[in-house]
Amino acid sequence: MTKPYTPWFLLAVALALAAVYLFPLYWMYVTSLKGSSEIFANPPTFWPRDPDTSVYPEVWARRTMPVYLWNSVVIASGVTAITVILGTGCAYVLARYRNVWIDIGLFCVLMLQVLPASVMVTPLFVGFNQVGLLSYPRTAVVLAAAAKAMPFFVVLVRATFMSVPRELEEAALVDGNSRIGAFFSIVLPLARNGILVCAILTFMSAFGEYIYSKSIIQSPNLQPASVGLSGFLGPNSSDWSGIMAYSAIYVTPILAAFVILQRRIVSGLTSGALK
Amino acid sequence: MSRILNALRDGVGFDILLVGAALIFLLALAGAPLLYNVLMSFQQVDMFTLGALFRPFVGFDNYVAVVRQPEFWLVTRNTFIFVFGSMAGQFVLGFALALFFAQRFPGAATIRGLFLVSWVMPGLVVGAIWSWILAGDFGVLNVILKTFGIIDTNIFWKSDPNFSIWAVVIANIWLGLAFNMLLLSVGLAAIPRDLYEAAELDGANAFQRFWTITLPMMRSTIGAVLSLGLIGTLQQFDLFPALTEGGPANTSNVAGFWSWQLSFQLYDFAKGATVSVMMFLLVLFASVVYVRSTRHEVRG
Repeated sequence: MTKPYTPWFLLAVALALAAVYLFPLYWMYVTSLKGSSEIFANPPTFWPRDPDTSVYPEVWARRTMPVYLWNSVVIASGVTAITVILGTGCAYVLARYRNVWIDIGLFCVLMLQVLPASVMVTPLFVGFNQVGLLSYPRTAVVLAAAAKAMPFFVVLVRATFMSVPRELEEAALVDGNSRIGAFFSIVLPLARNGILVCAILTFMSAFGEYIYSKSIIQSPNLQPASVGLSGFLGPNSSDWSGIMAYSAIYVTPILAAFVILQRRIVSGLTSGALK
Repeated sequence: MSRILNALRDGVGFDILLVGAALIFLLALAGAPLLYNVLMSFQQVDMFTLGALFRPFVGFDNYVAVVRQPEFWLVTRNTFIFVFGSMAGQFVLGFALALFFAQRFPGAATIRGLFLVSWVMPGLVVGAIWSWILAGDFGVLNVILKTFGIIDTNIFWKSDPNFSIWAVVIANIWLGLAFNMLLLSVGLAAIPRDLYEAAELDGANAFQRFWTITLPMMRSTIGAVLSLGLIGTLQQFDLFPALTEGGPANTSNVAGFWSWQLSFQLYDFAKGATVSVMMFLLVLFASVVYVRSTRHEVRG
């Protein structure tokens, strides 16, 4: 093979592509640091003239962000807990056997994975109303969002379990372990990392959950940060440095977690999502 | 009794318990609402009958009423523009990037992984950022396009009826591009290298190698990625409230957001349910394609 270019040239192109692609993120941080007149400067400045972080504490207090973020954490934790507890066992069984029933179960899970939240939100709202769950709106949102998150979790974690050698489990059974014992002492520890990554992904997506919270939770004290942001947006909003500061506070923890775990998340997704 | 306990500890009961708990949960919170949705689309549902289980049946009245809504065809058209515009953009750009990152150079995997931040961000934040980038007066996209001489006057992406749906499409392409690229990269990596070397020895040029080796070898991957793209696009909701709220005058409204508006802004739950049943038929089509394309793996 003749190569007219060097790997370093490719690296430069790759960095340029990444810079173009990630420009919206950069623009969020830069805008949040600009003063109110500089925001509407024409042409816009690509580096703030005098970076000003005073908007951060101001937005933090004025938009009652601690309340919103705490609700996001509560909802995301609930969703992750339900998803991990119920989804892990399901994924394990679906990974261990091959027969018609497993095929049917897997088919059900795949079908549920494709349901859009906007299709489910009307019947869930009316159903929750009838069973009285609307009095506990955060719980209702957790249940609804967990049902949405679980199929994807099962599909990903199933791929993790399939990479755990069966022989180890069988050896444990021969040594006198029960199925429960083998599951908890052999299989789960071996699949721990994969499960953890999928749990973090579930947490991240539930942290941004919007549609169920917006539809089900009426009280601002119980709403998550996504709903808080939507109340800030409105068609005539002009406080762009405030909105961008809010967004930055909201996503920076997610971005940090993602960058730290990037390799594991990418490998977890690539092994699971296509199978 | 002890036999059941033993089965739970050691036999098939353990498996049934694990799967059963998850499936019962999913059926209660996803399967049952889906059926309930279909039922509601044939009933008269309003604020007075919201709490009742049995409501007057109205046959296909809701469907007729939905189709007769003046915005119905506009929303249908927008849904198709949104779905196919997003899918085409995500797939073509994602494939191009996947091909690029399949080259060997230092840091390729890490840089490729960084692209995925778009996918883990909350949809509403993505919408807020793009709302600012696409702003008509002070949006940075207009400035960049003008600098390169592509446009002369500012485009009011969010408020111009000709562009509003495309504003959401652009944001959605950005959101889903990286996931497409990642999955396509997996497919590319699975193609044996020696196929390319053999083809090169036989004198095939880069385009011929792509056409005769890459595309055929990736058929099942492409099928899965396209159907996942269709599903993901139909699931997209958060960008609409953040960017255009379906406006101006429904020119950027799509089925999913319209259904939500009917239910939660106009409190017409029957029509909301009807629209989402119609949308579900579209999703059903996508999922059949998706399940078919993953079936070979499912069967083992």
